[in-house]
Amino acid sequence: MAAKQLDGYIKPELMACCGAREIQENDIVLVGTGFPTMAANIAKHTHAPNARLMQESGVYDARPKRPALSVGDPCLNPGAAMIGGLMDIMGMGLQAGNVDVGFLSGSQVDKFGNINTTCIGDYENPKSRLPGSGGANPIGSLVKRVLIIALHDTRRLAEKVDFITTPGYIDGPGAREKHGLPPGTGPHVIITNKAVMRFDKSTGEAYLDTYHPDTTVEEVVKSTPWDLKVSPDVRETEPPTEDELRVLREVLDPKRMISAYISRGYV
Amino acid sequence: MSKVTTINKAISEHVKDGDFLFIGGYICRTPYAAIHEIIRQGKKDLTVTRSNAADDFDMLIGAGAVKRFIATFLSLGFFGLGRCYRRSLEKGIPHKIEVEEYTNLSLPTMLMAGAMGMPFAPVRDMAGSDLMKVKSFMGDNKYKVIESPFDGAPTVLVPALNPDVAIIHVQQSDETGNAQIWGIGGDCQHGANAAKKVIVCCERIVSRDIIGKDPSRTIVPDYKVAAVVEEPFGAHPGYTPGFYDTDFKFGNVYKTASSTEDGFKRFLDEWVYGVKNRNEYIQHYIKSYGYASFKKLEAEFDYGYPVSYSY
Repeated sequence: MAAKQLDGYIKPELMACCGAREIQENDIVLVGTGFPTMAANIAKHTHAPNARLMQESGVYDARPKRPALSVGDPCLNPGAAMIGGLMDIMGMGLQAGNVDVGFLSGSQVDKFGNINTTCIGDYENPKSRLPGSGGANPIGSLVKRVLIIALHDTRRLAEKVDFITTPGYIDGPGAREKHGLPPGTGPHVIITNKAVMRFDKSTGEAYLDTYHPDTTVEEVVKSTPWDLKVSPDVRETEPPTEDELRVLREVLDPKRMISAYISRGYV
Repeated sequence: MSKVTTINKAISEHVKDGDFLFIGGYICRTPYAAIHEIIRQGKKDLTVTRSNAADDFDMLIGAGAVKRFIATFLSLGFFGLGRCYRRSLEKGIPHKIEVEEYTNLSLPTMLMAGAMGMPFAPVRDMAGSDLMKVKSFMGDNKYKVIESPFDGAPTVLVPALNPDVAIIHVQQSDETGNAQIWGIGGDCQHGANAAKKVIVCCERIVSRDIIGKDPSRTIVPDYKVAAVVEEPFGAHPGYTPGFYDTDFKFGNVYKTASSTEDGFKRFLDEWVYGVKNRNEYIQHYIKSYGYASFKKLEAEFDYGYPVSYSY
């Protein structure tokens, strides 16, 4: 089957919509910047008006007038429902079990949904030193559904990450529980520039659920460095709806800042 | 008794080589004026900490001031990885710093424990990750795992931190150091109160009466404070709510400069060693980018709802 061209939208927009569709009404969502914020806000403006966002820096239910460029962005301050500090969000919000959804991205993501944002190569003598955990580890440890954003190639995805900064299903079923992480938490989905992968709870592994309209099952499998299982119901990813694109382009991001992700490989 | 002084005196009198510093700020209210003064005075062998470190820590590392970093994260945010941080850890330039790694839950919890005089605190993150496998200068005291004495569950404990000095930038303080903020707090309050003493940099010094108009905003009481420095525009290129916006253009200047060793040295020569204090820095900024650029960063005037504490 030959892949088609994307029809009237760009890949980062499709990925943001895929993220939005994972958010349910009344969810409390801990977001970073870029995709996560846009995805969560698309959901808020479409099917989940009562979803509420928080940023680890101390912000709850912000009403920014432009897309936030960081979790500490000045535009998050005026109009928020609550502003405190890290312990208000990461402690009283997240650790206390109040957060449903967290968005994470990683330089390297493996089949168990473990995420590496610490280093490429050996830890003591890294080939490439990355930023570190920040809020990623606690978010991945403690939210009910972790939504992972990643680039889809055999370098960014891995059989095993070089360093587990943020635990997914670690090395298989039962591992999170054994380490004392709360029950009912863990990776829910990996949204890439080629596909949406979900997790088989019996193996802890990610499998292919939908492939984006400009690719094929074969190409996705070939671009995945582990023996990627394919859902018997595998299908093409639903393209963005008119409503989703309207919200994204007219309300949330009129300057189309999202197109910056194209230069970061989200094509 | 007034503790008002200059940043030069505050750093020379209260920060010693080898000290353990908490440096507040979370994109919001980063004390850049103090960071530059630490570099100008050639302080060295410092241990530094904050959750989510940024350009300021990158600069201290590149300038060779840092020996040890109790870390959760370091990046230039929108502008990518910290170039000096990478050069230090990947190539040992100017030297390889030692890094002890935590998270944005465990580190603020350690500062909170320190602020409250608790010896340690339990956290529910880090378990199952490789953060548990790497230990640096804190060795086996990085964390402990115990069975909870209450229900037997595996529980991670992290130690309290008590820095020698905390340096924070706030909107306003009185002359004795009752320091007030509004907007995103990061780990500033716990980090400051965990320290043995605090240097408060502020946009404006106000009277004790003004502090009393809205005392809920005070995050550090004056008994913790050793020095108060009025340093308007002191968090540039970061922002201070109600005063000025983030200077993205300057963020890009730092990113580009710090991408090479030479570029970074030239940046320090121009913006740190080449000016004596924040006043000269502002003058240099205006000369380089124009008054309009400077003025454009200024926050819109939009007072909040005045509160009443009367009864």
